Amino acid sequence: MSLLESFEDVESCWRDLSDVLAAGISRVLLYGPSGTGKTYAALHHGVGIHPAERLVCTEDLTSGEITGTWMPVGENRWEWREGPAIRAWHGSGGLGGRLVVDEVDRASGDALSTLLAMTDSPESARWRNPETSQWVRPGPHFSVIMTSNIDDLDDIPSSLRDRFPVAIRVDRPHASALAGLSADLRAPALAGSLGPVGRRVSLRSFYAFDELRAKCGAQRAAQLVFCENALSVLDALAIAALA
Amino acid sequence: MNVSFHPELVTGREDGFRSGPWTVTAGSTRRGDASCNLTERVLHVPLGHDETSRVVRAHELMHARVSPHLREHYGALEDMSPRALECAEEFRINTLVARLGFDVALLRDGSEKSGGRRLAESGEWSEALCFMLAVLGTGSEKEYLAGVRQLQPTWMAGMRAVRKRALGVVDALGSTSLGATRLNEDHLPSGYANVTVVLARLLSQSMVARPPVTPDALRAFRRSLEPGGRRPATGRFADLAFDESLEMAPRARARGLRRARPATSGSTMRYPSRLFTDDHKRAFAQRTSVHGGIVIIDQSGSMDLDGSALHALLRRAPDALVLGYSHRPGDSGATPNVWILANRGAVARTCPSGNVGNGVDGPVLRWAIARRRGDEPIIWVTDGQITDSHDHPDDKLTQECATLVRQHRIRLVREMPDAARALSWGRTTSRAQWSQFGRIGRKLQEMKVS
Repeated sequence: MSLLESFEDVESCWRDLSDVLAAGISRVLLYGPSGTGKTYAALHHGVGIHPAERLVCTEDLTSGEITGTWMPVGENRWEWREGPAIRAWHGSGGLGGRLVVDEVDRASGDALSTLLAMTDSPESARWRNPETSQWVRPGPHFSVIMTSNIDDLDDIPSSLRDRFPVAIRVDRPHASALAGLSADLRAPALAGSLGPVGRRVSLRSFYAFDELRAKCGAQRAAQLVFCENALSVLDALAIAALA
Repeated sequence: MNVSFHPELVTGREDGFRSGPWTVTAGSTRRGDASCNLTERVLHVPLGHDETSRVVRAHELMHARVSPHLREHYGALEDMSPRALECAEEFRINTLVARLGFDVALLRDGSEKSGGRRLAESGEWSEALCFMLAVLGTGSEKEYLAGVRQLQPTWMAGMRAVRKRALGVVDALGSTSLGATRLNEDHLPSGYANVTVVLARLLSQSMVARPPVTPDALRAFRRSLEPGGRRPATGRFADLAFDESLEMAPRARARGLRRARPATSGSTMRYPSRLFTDDHKRAFAQRTSVHGGIVIIDQSGSMDLDGSALHALLRRAPDALVLGYSHRPGDSGATPNVWILANRGAVARTCPSGNVGNGVDGPVLRWAIARRRGDEPIIWVTDGQITDSHDHPDDKLTQECATLVRQHRIRLVREMPDAARALSWGRTTSRAQWSQFGRIGRKLQEMKVS
């Protein structure tokens, strides 16, 4: 059984995500090592034609960047611009869309409070539009997927964790994410993305290596992408290929 | 700062080995200080930036890529020396590493010449052969062979023959076949089966062979390395491997054999001539019953054991110890080569058939002699052929058995039905009968003349 075949057998995390979304669960937390495609899945999986809204958390993220801000539109005139969370509440035709909150563990206190309000249960969540003073509620199809690179769920604030009853550890790339690589790199790329911390090689690196080697050869591509690890990676790839 | 190392990227196996994280521990480039444990997923490798460390890492990574990962893959090969398998696998790995462009000339640690000398000095031909394969093609080979040559120059021709054959086996295969891990019908990775096992089999038979010195012996040795070639002569018996699986059942006692012995008193003067020839004047006959004795049965291809003859024997000697023997040529202990057919009143429920060769004549005789009770007779059912562990006749081994026969007054018979009668003879095989017993008969005659 090849690595990719065995991978098909055990990619239970992705099956879990499909099952959870198919069951109508609208609050999901995806966590695990970087480079496995959590954000990609959150942005595309179970999303209709209306694109998902994305919010990348940093320590400098403000509440305004979540719900919206007043923007100057002329001399002494401002206009309210809705933030991604409110846009996702509306979604397509007020039915609600998908909000993806990346790296949620990095959000600051203020932003976290706002996120708590935005991700509250459909019955409790509401927000007053400062321009129209109208109360806004999330549409019936509103869903939130949060992602984090943490390995331990305890690093997520308990109040936020409480809003996300389903947390799925994503520890391997989706099979479709490997399909774009050259055939000889798929198995090593998968194995590399599952390696222990310190020896993990992300899928993105392999994509870059794959593109570069087609133009400037494997040695140069490895030097550019893997830097001081180039020789070790090339040796391992040569032994894996055994040709 | 240690070099980076990425064993997880070594994928491509097709034998069910699951990829996953490895534990990496720091080793060195010294011989024996690097290893790959596929069961525990531990790689012990030098983590230096130098080129030698890199080649050693590549060697261990190649083990991770192609070597069998299940203990059963080694256990299924019981007829081979584990050391031969280990060294043949080293050769396959080094060949693959070299073909990928790694500089295997760097695989040396400076101890090779003294190591070769040490093996030659202690006469360890088998280890000398194994180690040659383990270092074949690497930077260690030349110095190692030079060390051996210094003290055992006569070994070189045989070693060169094995070397040439090993290179021929791997040269016939491409790297893909050499490192293939798809399981064959025996559930062995095919590259391992087609190269390592083939070489280990050759190595195992050559390890126990006598180092070929004469031109004739060298020719025979070379032929033995060719496909289908007969195993080379070893000049020694195999070790005894008893069949422990035989079930014994008690046997109803019979009257036993009646036997007359000379005595100084009695009712009938049976041996009047003894009044003149015997210092003790034992001219009378005293009848005693014989219940025991030891019967050794050669069950090699040239001999046959008739079950009814065994039971006929036991009717007359119910307390006899009866054992059969036959060695499978080349077997290293996996196949039993001796079995107890009757043991002082109990008899085996089944009677194993032979394994073609003799191979253990001397050790069986010694075993029987050690279990002799008093002066009870030992009968050897044999055609007189004595062979080594590879089923080659051998003069020295024949001499050894003939000496035992003479020293311990072992009686020779050709057929089982004669064994019961021989138990009651009270004398050894006559000189006139020696000619019936092939090589050992001739040897007994020679010994008598000299």
